[in-house]
Amino acid sequence: MNYKNKPELHERLAAEYALGTLRGAARARFKRWMREDGSVARAVAEWESRLAPMASSVATRRPPARLWNEIEARLGPAASSRREFFWKGLGLVAGGAAAAVAVMTVLPLLQRPVAGYVALLSDPRTQKPVLMITARRNDSEMQIRTLDPAIQVADASLELWALPKGGKPRSLGLISDSDRPGFNRAVLRMDAVADRTLSDVPMLAVSLEPRGGSPTGAPTGPVLYSGPCVKDW
Amino acid sequence: MSPADPLHGLLAACAQRDRDAFSRLYQSTSAKLYGVAVRILRREDWAEEVLQECYVSIWTHAPEYRAALAAPMTWMTSIVRNRCLDWLRRPRPEVADEDGTVVESTESDNPGPLAELERAKDAQALARCLQGLEAKQRQAIALAFYDGLSHSELASHLREPLGTVKTWVRRGLLRLKSCLELQEQA
Repeated sequence: MNYKNKPELHERLAAEYALGTLRGAARARFKRWMREDGSVARAVAEWESRLAPMASSVATRRPPARLWNEIEARLGPAASSRREFFWKGLGLVAGGAAAAVAVMTVLPLLQRPVAGYVALLSDPRTQKPVLMITARRNDSEMQIRTLDPAIQVADASLELWALPKGGKPRSLGLISDSDRPGFNRAVLRMDAVADRTLSDVPMLAVSLEPRGGSPTGAPTGPVLYSGPCVKDW
Repeated sequence: MSPADPLHGLLAACAQRDRDAFSRLYQSTSAKLYGVAVRILRREDWAEEVLQECYVSIWTHAPEYRAALAAPMTWMTSIVRNRCLDWLRRPRPEVADEDGTVVESTESDNPGPLAELERAKDAQALARCLQGLEAKQRQAIALAFYDGLSHSELASHLREPLGTVKTWVRRGLLRLKSCLELQEQA
């Protein structure tokens, strides 16, 4: 359905999504649209802010004490070196400070990059290139294109990592999750321009993580794809 | 909403992977969020499971939280409400509540959260604007928000045609928005 460029519909769907009455296929479709279009996401955030005070009058209810223990157990050990063997396998083990985790925002593809960084990530089992990632030098957006339409993860997320020389893997964000399988283009927003985020990064890799990304801030699942990241100018 | 909201600082510390801050965030918000989840799901065991997912997600996504877009409690409440709605949509075999975890359904047309809303100091503008709606619009919006009813569930609950209920919700939301905008200007 083409409901873009229809501000009234856009506003109504944002309101109904925030209220919770938008359901089923329409809700799934709207969630995808929200991820692709920042103005839709903003409209939803505004509606959520309008309606959220309603929740302030819901009676509080103390959850059982075991709930916190279960949540804590899900986060894993407080330090971040769980399952480093995957990275040892790649010869990429860590020392040095971990940088802040980049913010992931999916934005519409506005322009194709010209001069900047290019990475081609392959699947080591098949040797086939799977993802192409490009970013302009002075831009903080990273364009991701899927070359293999078969990439799909069910009930998990694919997390993109920068593997800096002699440093710990740094999360660049999630490139797919179970809510949008089979995507073929995405944009990740880095927390600084590419020249700052990628200049000391010879390799990028993608690991399989629980939904929502690595709970520890370091890769916890197997590396599915990896490849060199090079300067192109 | 104010920058003095202590939850801002806790979320910012969570973004820096501070587990103590996360524990404090949980202590200050879990009773409210659990209340919201139990109200929608009407089963404590489901609410517990959903809340576990939500807090893991809050921890994971804390670095993406943007204060300019939403107050911390708004952000977390939206995560919980959306996860509850997803949960209700999941096809699952109905399991008898052998352990007695079903919570009596409470209806928003009885004195409940909506009646309490006027006393909540953060929500007075919204409470006033909800009061300004037609009763049917207000009731439909409250049932959707507090109890997670869909349009078709609203229609069968209120014994009205689907189209009528959709119109109440749509017009109610539009009036709510213009009323809140007027309050903001005033």
